[in-house]
This record gives sequence, structure tokens and C-alpha cells, in this order.
Amino acid sequence: IFFSTSRHTMDKSITLPPDEIFRNLENAKRFAIDIGGSLTKLAYYSTVQHKVAKVRSFDKATKVNIPEAASDKLYEISVQEEVTARLHFIKFENAYIETCLDFIKDHLVNTETKVIKATGGGAHKFKELIERKLGLKVDKEDEMTCLIKGCNFVLRNIPHEAFVYAKHADSEFRFQTTQPDIFPYLLVNIGSGVSIVKVESEDKFERIGGSSIGGGTFWGLGALLTKTKRFDELLQLASKGQHTSVDMLVKDIYGGSYGSLGLTGDLIASSFGKSATADKEFSKEDMAKSLLHMISNDIGQLACLYAKLHNLSRVYFGGFFIRGHPVTMHTITYSINFFTKGEVQALFLRHEGYLGAIGAFLKGAEEDNPNQYSWGENYAGSSGLMSVSPDMNPMQRARSGTFDMLEMDRLERQLVNLPLLQDPSSYIPDTMDLTEDALAREYWLYCFEEALDGVVKRAVASQPDMPEAAERAEKFRQKYRHKLQTLRHQPL
Amino acid sequence: MAEFVRLDSSTSRHTMDKSITLPPDEIFRNLENAKRFAIDIGGSLTKLAYYSTVQHKVAKVRSFDKATKEAASDKLYEISVQEEVTARLHFIKFENAYIETCLDFIKDHLVNTETKVIKATGGGAHKFKELIERKLGLKVDKEDEMTCLIKGCNFVLRNIPHEAFVYAKHADSEFRFQTTQPDIFPYLLVNIGSGVSIVKVESEDKFERIGGSSIGGGTFWGLGALLTKTKRFDELLQLASKGQHTSVDMLVKDIYGGSYGSLGLTGDLIASSFGKSATADKEFSKEDMAKSLLHMISNDIGQLACLYAKLHNLSRVYFGGFFIRGHPVTMHTITYSINFFTKGEVQALFLRHEGYLGAIGAFLKGAEEDNPNQYSWGENYAGSSGLMSVSPDMNPMQRARSGTFPFDMLEMDRLERQLVNLPLLQDPSSYIPDTMDLTEDALAREYWLYCFEEALDGVVKRAVASQPDMPEAAERAEKFRQKYRHKLQTLRHQPFAYGSLTVRSLLDTREHCLNEFNFPDPYSKIKQNENDIALKYYQKAVKSLEELSWEERQFALVRGVLAGNVFDWGAKAVSDVLESDPEFGFEQAKRQLEERPWLVDSYDQWLERLRGPPHKCALFFVDNSGVDIILGVIPFVRELLSRGTEVVLASNSGPALNDVTNGELQILTERIAAMDPVIQAGLREDRLTLVQSGSSSPCLDLSRLDKVLAQVVRERQTDLVIIEGMGRAIHTNYYAMLSCESLKMAVIKNSWLADRLGGKLFSVVFKYEVPAGKPSQGSAAVTPS
Repeated sequence: IFFSTSRHTMDKSITLPPDEIFRNLENAKRFAIDIGGSLTKLAYYSTVQHKVAKVRSFDKATKVNIPEAASDKLYEISVQEEVTARLHFIKFENAYIETCLDFIKDHLVNTETKVIKATGGGAHKFKELIERKLGLKVDKEDEMTCLIKGCNFVLRNIPHEAFVYAKHADSEFRFQTTQPDIFPYLLVNIGSGVSIVKVESEDKFERIGGSSIGGGTFWGLGALLTKTKRFDELLQLASKGQHTSVDMLVKDIYGGSYGSLGLTGDLIASSFGKSATADKEFSKEDMAKSLLHMISNDIGQLACLYAKLHNLSRVYFGGFFIRGHPVTMHTITYSINFFTKGEVQALFLRHEGYLGAIGAFLKGAEEDNPNQYSWGENYAGSSGLMSVSPDMNPMQRARSGTFDMLEMDRLERQLVNLPLLQDPSSYIPDTMDLTEDALAREYWLYCFEEALDGVVKRAVASQPDMPEAAERAEKFRQKYRHKLQTLRHQPL
Repeated sequence: MAEFVRLDSSTSRHTMDKSITLPPDEIFRNLENAKRFAIDIGGSLTKLAYYSTVQHKVAKVRSFDKATKEAASDKLYEISVQEEVTARLHFIKFENAYIETCLDFIKDHLVNTETKVIKATGGGAHKFKELIERKLGLKVDKEDEMTCLIKGCNFVLRNIPHEAFVYAKHADSEFRFQTTQPDIFPYLLVNIGSGVSIVKVESEDKFERIGGSSIGGGTFWGLGALLTKTKRFDELLQLASKGQHTSVDMLVKDIYGGSYGSLGLTGDLIASSFGKSATADKEFSKEDMAKSLLHMISNDIGQLACLYAKLHNLSRVYFGGFFIRGHPVTMHTITYSINFFTKGEVQALFLRHEGYLGAIGAFLKGAEEDNPNQYSWGENYAGSSGLMSVSPDMNPMQRARSGTFPFDMLEMDRLERQLVNLPLLQDPSSYIPDTMDLTEDALAREYWLYCFEEALDGVVKRAVASQPDMPEAAERAEKFRQKYRHKLQTLRHQPFAYGSLTVRSLLDTREHCLNEFNFPDPYSKIKQNENDIALKYYQKAVKSLEELSWEERQFALVRGVLAGNVFDWGAKAVSDVLESDPEFGFEQAKRQLEERPWLVDSYDQWLERLRGPPHKCALFFVDNSGVDIILGVIPFVRELLSRGTEVVLASNSGPALNDVTNGELQILTERIAAMDPVIQAGLREDRLTLVQSGSSSPCLDLSRLDKVLAQVVRERQTDLVIIEGMGRAIHTNYYAMLSCESLKMAVIKNSWLADRLGGKLFSVVFKYEVPAGKPSQGSAAVTPS
């Protein structure tokens, strides 16, 4: 459910780059915070002023008076300032919470906000600090309610939010198209323990089951068995181990499969079954791997049984055990495939880590009716999937300071399906999925990079009256090129 | 993902003495005639099964030939002791360490068997294959493990009353035994070996492994060994039983400071097993870790079992496997988990003979041509160890010290006749024969154990006296005394050893032990004598009854039955009087009876009923020989016959105390018919029928009756059941609900019991009952089919 860890080396005096995180803080209106065992997720709502190009038909009446001015143009173009709503979500390690709070205090200009919604197991721990630093009253929200609210929100508003994990496929992640009807679904939240929640509608959910064998068990037993105290390191150990040296397989007992019961020889008959009687030392890696299998399989089995019992076919997995860990996504996926014989797919969420913060924010913003609008992910302001994943590049991560962001723009108009779609649930707008087609991906990334110079030139040329246009265009070039480079390495 | 049945452990006993001498009197009994073998070799225990024939003495009665009658003028019938051969199944369980010793022993004692093969199952079967074949000269024939397990499970559920029990750690009695259900299917069997197999059993031959888990006994053992450096399973369980899981587990309150109300999670719930060891920088005690591990695994298995049970709509869930077997600690945690997850809707059930299932199944596979399932079998209390007799938890010290040879036995007798439910039971599935469960009632237990121990001297004396021509009778009787006293002592400490402890099971155990030492019928001479005397008064008694008015006669008949029932050598108070005063007569007995209103008195309703139309057919379960049957019951039966009611007299198949047996009753009725035209006509016209109950017990289990009896009851459209005597109407069946009218008559001849029921010595129970919804004046036409 929650846990607390502390990074061994933390640098609280870090200077935050204000251009990059906590953007639009001046106009921040409403705050929410979700403090987990190791990560803090901050959400706020802000308004963004930005320029929009408007076109306007020349008035016929005035056209006569100034024929010389725009004689040969159909309409005039003007650039106007527009204010739109944007949701900001920032995730950082708990170690930086004080730095972040200070930063927010310094940059928060004229907010009328008096409260900050808080959720997560760590909320009570930092309550006093938040109230003192920000001068806002901490208003606690139910953790599970926030989680579900957040989950509903991302499933509804972010296309390709959910994905299936396939370790050995050409692309590890297969994204699911957004379904018009997201309910009902099962959410399996694997924190220290496991909560299994059936969600039937926006406001109706029920914790139908759970288990004490969860992430905390992997961590706790793993620490006792291997003397390795860090969760990430345990996962790394596990990814290098061989479970067969610790587990007793069906073939270890019967010399092969147990045909009459339909059990293959490689099936695990007894987790840790060999360590009961073998008088030898087992490697840390092997024990960690066996433990990981044991726990993942158990959770997968429980999830399947609850899904079957409640007749649910969509099962989403979340929680720190899963979050950004390909190792656990793989074992959970394997387990689900095994137990449902492929009938149920294990689904994961791109923004799973933000669910609580999003939910807490939405609780606080209920008078604004956020659900009546459509929201779109702002790619420019959002980090990608697994940008803070410990597995991807732990070295780089330690240096960068580990911030992860999600920004969502409120769209002016509510978006719905074209009623004429033959099957909205199977409709995929894109003809080609570049995540699955490496050659095509290669080509198109190259193509967009090649075209970048031309785009920059065109952008500068579009604003001849503005001397700083060249400078801004250069920033655009850098940002977009960075995104393209990121996508080359992480096509997801 | 998968699981298993066996464990590859060889938990060798630390000190083992292979040169041990086996006590042949005690184990591997009747090996000379052993016919068919089966063996189930598990990770640490071997279970051997064999079928053998047992020769034992039975008392037979035979009417004197009329031609030779002058030879034995004053005797009604002669008693002879004959040898009878019956079939018995033997099961012995011992540690794998002793397997060689045992095989040698078997080889030496196996005399003239035609057996060529031994059926084998269990994970260890292949390991010892060569050894078995070499030692015994039998071909090892392997049988599928799961099939054997299920076959064995079906067999014990069907044949052993009180096989299944519920475990309740803190209740007055730890074990609550379940009544045998007529229909045992469908059920779920959760076998917790190294891994877990979850099997749905739908019929005798249809089962499916619907699920399993790799988190099982091997996981507890394996992880436990890694965490605590303790390599023995039993020791790990002992560590666990001393630990505190809360120092290792993260509870809901550790996270939220209390309960998580909106999700319905209490503060003490385990949120994360081993959650505290993730971050706390401290050493955890072995005990605490073992306890946390035990909880984790038991809860997980319980949860999976519940989910599979729900998915498949099953409410009976049996747990077995080495993780469970005889370990109160794991029975408790599994029970707790099942209660938690099903909110009490499903009960965790355990089996008394769970360890034998594989061996029983393998044996049955080999015996299929003998159709063992067409017979009924009964547990032989004399030859069976009780529940947990080799349990490491019960008394490890004693076990280690006594060291001789820890083994455990189960013997089952093939009953001559197939046993079924009385078709007139209102609800066979809820029928419990016994009125008092001594496992649950400590005071009652105390009294009855004392009572049976006190009576033991008398029984021994009687046994010796019954065989005056046999000089070694005294020696055998002494052996009987030792064995039965030992059983009583065992029961004092482990009242649950043979299922629910009841007066019936105490009586039955005594009968089994007497038979064991060739005292088939210690009361045969007394019964003979009593019958002779009573018969002399028969005509006089009938005549005096006929002189009464109808109403007076009805009352006199009832009093006659009750007074006759006072003549009961089974009850201590009476046997004292009878032995000291042989002149104690029928009239005296009548005077002893309590005056109306009786302790339980529905005589008025009975009389009212008799004014109505006659019953179609009455089934009468009779009790004692002598005055009881001849001067009490037969005149009562005579009146019923005169009213136009057919009568079925049900008496014991085999001897028990001074109860009249079917063989004796046949001779008696013939003799009575010779002097009474009413009885004669009844027999001739087939309106008076004698059947045997199928039992050799002084009590009565209406769920295990001879199949022929059930058939007759159905054919005759029986609409009245009469049960007579303390053993059959009070110790058992006092609360039995029947679907037709019933009459229970008994005199309480035990002051403690009288006290319990609020009466006094010689209080009368006259309980006439009409099932709800039936008019008490019910016409004979309205009979159940």
C-alpha cells in the first residue's frame, strides 16, 4: 500500500530549473499532492497565456474605405493572446520535497488557493511541513478514491494510455486504443500489499479482494534473503537469476511432465522447494528471481480468479511494484497469460504513477466539473514513459535529478466519436504504428529531423516583425530535436 | 503455478535404529493371510496397505433338533463357538527410515500368498522400487498419484463415520466431527504438499485438477530453511508457533495508524507480509519470521481455495497433504484464513485418515475386481491408532524417547452386509445418531470414561466366565483389559482420537476389543438362561393381559416393555442388582418404575392414536434378551398384529452385551409361535418379519443399517418406528427426527444420566412423536413411499 525509502545520496541544495518544471506556477490556482513511499506527485491547475493566430474576413463595409490597404487579400491574420487551462503534474523523489516546496512558495504569485488536497500514505508524514512552507491547509483525501478517480481520468482523456507488455516482441509495448466505454474494469494495485478493486462507474468502485503478498513482500523477503536493501537492486538481481536452481519443478519430481494432470515439466511445482532439503548455498540472483516469480505468479493468479468471478476482462496493474519496471511487467504478464490461457490481458498504464495526484486534484476541482471537458496531453510539456525508470539508465537518472512531468491542456470543446464509425472500439486512426515497425520508424524520425531546418526557417519568417523570433525558433529546434532523439531510443 | 503432492525430502530421523525388533502382535497383524498389497511412499512416510482374512470365533445359536430334544431338556437352544473368516483391510504408516526393516519383517511372516504384484504410488515409489522388488519378490506396479488420492478420499468419506472434522483452536473441543453425508459429491480437495493441488471431485470416477499453486508446504519449508537455518519441517512449525508475526509483517495500522474504514480493512489485518523487513534495519527472530511465513502461505492457500470453491460453486472443501497432516498449527491458520475469506460461508474440513488416502486408493485400484465399493466397511477401533498418534506436535519428547517404532495403524473390517440409511429419516444429511458429544462436553466425558473404567473388572470377569472350558481365557481376558484400559486412557487425553467420542463409540470400542481377544459373546450363556426362564412365563403373561380391558391392556403393554427393559446387563446399576439377587423378577421391575407422569410422557397422545386406525407397518428396534424381548416386546407386538399392523422386528446382526441377536430371536419367535396362534399366524402370513440391523452395537446408528432392512421398510410402507432401550433411544436417537410416527421407550438406569436429563434412577422416557404436517390420526393410506 505504501512504503518509505530514502535515497542514499541526496542533494537537497539542488537548484531547480524553473523553465522546465513547475511551469506556469505564477497562475497556479489549485494544488494537490500525493506522497507515496518514495515519490511525491504534485498537481496544479494553471492558466496559460499563449499566442494564437486568428483569421478574420475583411468586413465588406470597411473594405470599400480602405481598398488600397488589403485589396487582394481574402481575410486578415492577427496574432492574439489567449488564456487556456492546463493541468500540470510533476513527480519527484520524496528527498526533494522540501526544495520543491520552497521553490513553489517563492514562485507562487497571486493565488487565492487556501487548501492543498493531499493523499497517499506519506501525506500525514509531511502534513506539517507542507502547511508551514506553503501556508496552505492540507486537506486529506481517501487514497483509493483518488487512485480510481485518476485512473478513470487518464483512461478517458489520454489516447494510448493503456498498454500491453510483451518482452520478446518487436516492440515491448503495445498500446491499446481508447475505448468509448471504460467501465467496468479491475485495478490491481501492487504496493506493499495488493488491493484488487472493481470499478463499475465514475463513482462506484469496490475493493473486492487483496493480498498481503505484494511489493513489500518481495522487498522484505528479498532483503532478508540477499541482504540487499534497495528495491531497484533486488529487481536487478532478479533479472540476472535462474529460478530453476531454487524452485522445484514438476520434472524435478516426476522426471518429466505430469501428463494426466496436464502439468508440463517446466512448471514450478513448489517455489523454493529445492531450498528445503538441498544443503547448499543459493545465489542472491537465483533467490531474488524465484521470489519475483513466486509473487508475480500469485498476484496474477488472484487477479485472474477475481476477474473471472466478477466477469471482468480488463485488468489494469499499477503500484510501485509495477511502475516502470519491465521485469515485473513481464512476470505479471506471463502469469496472467498462463492462468487465463490468453483470455485476459494484463494492461498497464503510462501515467500510472500520477493516478493518485490526478484523483486528489480532481476531488478538489469538483466544482469546476473537469469531467465535462476533454483534455489532451501536451507532448511539449510531458516527459515520456519511464523517463525516471531505474531500469533504463540508473546512472543518467542519478545525475539528472529525476523529475517527470505530465501536462494536460483543457480543450475548448468536448471531443467524441464520429457517430458513423462502424466500430468505435476497434477504430485506430493511424495507418502505421511506428513503434512496431522499426524500419518505418527509422525512416520517419530521420525524415522529421531532416525537415526541421525548413520548419525553423518557416517559423522565423512567419513573424518578421518580431526580433526575438529567431531566438525562440532556435529553442523550438532544440526541444523538438531532443524529443526526436528521445523517441529514437524510447519509441514509446 | 503448479504444486505438488509429494516432497522430495528425506527427513531422516536423527537417531534411527534399523535393527529394531518389531512387535508382531501389534503391527502387521494377520500377515500370514495377507492377500493383496499396496504401498504409498511419500517424502518421509511410508504407508502400507494389505488385505487379509481374519479368523475369529463367533458364537452361534442353534435350535435343538426336536428328535434330540430329550438330550438337553431344559435348554431352548444350544450355543456353539465357531470359527469365522472375515475380510479386513490393514493400513500401517511408518517413517521411510524403517522401510527396510519392515520389508524384511513382511518377507519373514508372509506365508502363503499368491500375490504377485504390489501397487505403488507416491513420489517416493520409484526410489524404493528396486528394494521392494528384491525384498518381497513382488512386482511393483505404479499407480497415478492423484487418482489414488481421490479414490482413497472417496472411500474414507463414504465408509468412516466422523471422518471429516472442523478444527477450532479455542473451542472446548478442538475437533468438531462432521456427520457422514449420504452424498459426498461434489467436493474440493486442496492437497498441500510441496506445492498445492486444488481438485474438484464430482463423482467416484470424475475429478479435475482445477487449480494449484507453487506456494505450498515446500515453500514454507524452503524459505523457512533459508531464513532461519532450521532444516526440519517440524522444527520450523514449532518455531512458528512461538513467534509474533506482527514484528515482521506490516499491518494496516502500521500504515494508516488504525483501520482503513472506507475499505473495510481492520487495523490488525496484514497489509504486507514481511513488509517491515523491507526497511527496518534490524535482526528479526527466527520465530517471528517463521510465523510470518506460515501466515503468508496459509492465507494465500486459503484465499485461493475460497476463490476456486466460489468459482465452481462448491461448499465442501477438504484440506490434506503433509503441510496439514496432524499439525494443529497449520490446521488453525488454514481454518482462520477460510473463515476470513468466506466470512464463515465455507468451512475448512480436515480428514482423520488423510495420511492414508494414497495407500487406500492404490489398494483399491489393485482390488477393483473384488468390487470393494459394493461392500460397507467399518473402522475397527481395536486395531486402529487414534488421530495424531504419531503427530510430532502432540508429544515429541515422548515419541523420541519411546523411540521404539513410531507407527500408526488403521484397520477396517469388511462388513458382511451393505449398510444404508433408514429410508424414514427426516433429513439424512443432518441426522446425528449420538445424543451427547463427549468431545465437547468435558464433564460428561469425565463421567463416562470413569464409568467404563469402573465397569471393566466386571466385563473381564464375565468374559472369563463365558469360556469356562478354556484355561487361557483368563490370560486373554487380561490382555483385553490392558488394551481397553489403554484405549480409555488415550481417549482421556485425546478424546477426538476416533472421531466424536460418544457413549456409543466407547461401547463399540469395547466390543471390538473383546472380539479381538476372542470373546465373541461373553453374555451368550446368560442370554440363554434368561430366555429360558422368561419363556416359561410367556403364556401366563399373555393370558393376564387378555383379561384386561382394552384401555388397561394398552397401559399394561407399555409398562411391560418398560419393565422388561429394566433387565439390562449393560447398565451397571442393574447388573449389580441382578448378580446379587437372581430372584429379581418382572413384577419387581414394574414396581421400580416411575409412576406417571413420567419424565417424558406422551402416553396420552399414544393412547389417543391407538383409538384411531391401525398403522400399516411398525418397525421395532429391540433391545435385550430374556424378559425384555419375551415378556415386554413380544406381547406388545402381538397387540399390534391383532390390530392389523404388520411388524418388522429388527435385532442386532452380531452380539453386543445381552442384546438379543437376530439368530437368537429367530429361535425365540419360533418357540413362541408354537404356543401362541397370534404370533404363529403373523409369521405364517408374513405379517411378522424378522430382520437384522446390520450392527453389533448396543447403540443404534440409523444411517448405517442393513440394506435388506431398508428394503423391507420401504416395501411394507412402514409408518411407525419403535425404538426401545437406553442405548438406542437415549444415548442415540433421542433427538432423531423421522418422517413417520415414532415411539421411543426407555428406562434410565444410570443415575448420572438421569440427573442430566432432570430425572432420577428408573425414570421413564416415553416419547411419541408425529412429524410436523402429519395428522396424528394419520390414516394408513398416507405413507411415504
